[in-house]
Amino acid sequence: MLDWSVIFHYSPFFLKAAVLTLQISVISLIVGLVFGLVAALCVLAKNPLLQWPARFYVWLIRSTPLLVQLFIIYFGFPQFGLDLSPFWSGVLALALNTGAYNAETIRGGIQSVPAGQVEAARSLGMSAALTMRRIVLPQALRLIIPPLGNNFVILIKDTSLVSTITLVELTLTAQRLIGSTYKPFEMYLMAAFFYALLTTGATLLLKKLESRAAWSHA
Amino acid sequence: MKTTEEKTHPMIDIRGLRKCFGALEVLKGIDLQVAESEVLVLIGPSGSGKSTLLRCLNHLETPTSGEISINGERVNRTDLSARAFQRHLNRVRTHMGMVFQHFNLFPHKTVLENITEAPVQVLRQTREDARRTALELLERVGLLDKCDEYPARLSGGQKQRVAIARALAMQPSVMLFDEVTSALDPELVGDVLRVMEDLARDGMTMIVVTHEMGFAQRVADRVVFMADGDICEQGTPERIFNDPQQERTQKFLGDVL
Ligand SMILES: Nc1ncnc2c1ncn2[C@@H]1O[C@H](COP(=O)(O)OP(=O)(O)OP(=O)(O)O)[C@@H](O)[C@H]1O
Ligand SMILES: [Mg+2]
Repeated sequence: MLDWSVIFHYSPFFLKAAVLTLQISVISLIVGLVFGLVAALCVLAKNPLLQWPARFYVWLIRSTPLLVQLFIIYFGFPQFGLDLSPFWSGVLALALNTGAYNAETIRGGIQSVPAGQVEAARSLGMSAALTMRRIVLPQALRLIIPPLGNNFVILIKDTSLVSTITLVELTLTAQRLIGSTYKPFEMYLMAAFFYALLTTGATLLLKKLESRAAWSHA
Repeated sequence: MKTTEEKTHPMIDIRGLRKCFGALEVLKGIDLQVAESEVLVLIGPSGSGKSTLLRCLNHLETPTSGEISINGERVNRTDLSARAFQRHLNRVRTHMGMVFQHFNLFPHKTVLENITEAPVQVLRQTREDARRTALELLERVGLLDKCDEYPARLSGGQKQRVAIARALAMQPSVMLFDEVTSALDPELVGDVLRVMEDLARDGMTMIVVTHEMGFAQRVADRVVFMADGDICEQGTPERIFNDPQQERTQKFLGDVL
């Protein structure tokens, strides 16, 4: 049977850990969106000096495990004098990772805007940059909000990996409390509960955003 | 008494225009001049290069060779750096309004925003000025009541009239129409053609690619028949429709009329 008393007793610890998990997720989300947008625009650029580095970045991230990326940043970078705190190592790894997936999502969204939209804008004298900003991206946004939301949910769950670099977020909190309570089932259940709370909250928020981005229903 | 100064250059001046897609030569050295206020109707079989010709004019397609000038200003300049050329293009494009077969209205903007977008963003008009012009234009095309609708709520004919208003808002010297009624239900074609006729009457210089031979006969000052990337025959509508000289023209008109 579940031991409800430990669950109640230790829930403040989990609440605090959930706040940290949320912080890591939101900062990584924002940085990851910037990475994704820049990488997508570079991949779509005609200039090979922009295109190839961006392609390499997307390929490298998508073909290696996040855990290894995290270890390279946290354990490997200090060898070259880049000594980031666990928090910023975690954020950097997660942002780089989700950024690569965002880049693919954003690129797909941009490419699915019909060529006629760009031609109409350019024929009115709008520059390429203005056309991207005012005409293409707003239309792409509607298409990419759902898959970007999906990436965000994955990101929240992936934050559990930063438990391996001493960040006391939900997973590591559970692990540490097991050492004193000997109740692994209850502790991991608590961690799972808070993850579900965060991801479900994010999903609901995104649904709202989605309906606001829909400009017409015809 | 002052004499009105005679223009020394045509409004549209195309010389030796060639366009290749890979090995395919789509335009084979077009020479064509269009005078100010002239309405030129371009006809010809599918694949003859009519759209490509229009798209070369405002550089949506890059000509392979040849010279294009609008109102005396060279469009496809070769003396500029890539950056300066883009700026040059953005500016000369504002002198040419283009209307497309499939409207290409911006679906995320209302009718009014579709029309004010470029005047505000490109010409730096104030929002109020752009709005005032847009409302005048909407009245002119008979769609004042639709100004706050999104394009998805309009019929094809209404969309196309908004697209015309959007192009006119830039106060172009030239209007290019590429089969603007081909995607419309027959009963909606008339409204769009009427707007174009009004425009012609007001003295707009126009190149119109169309299969509406009735429109060509009523409105055109000159009809140009294209075949296989070349101008095959041209003349007044009466001449082309009643007494075509070339066999290809005769055959084409026999098929469409
Ligand atoms: N981007 C492109 N790449 C390759 N070939 C092209 C391209 N655009 C047009 N073409 C070819 O150029 C030729 C002329 O096409 P264009 O669209 O100018 O003809 P059109 O006279 O407008 O025909 P339609 O009446 O069907 O619109 C066609 O053979 C077409 O396949
Ligand atoms: Mg065509």
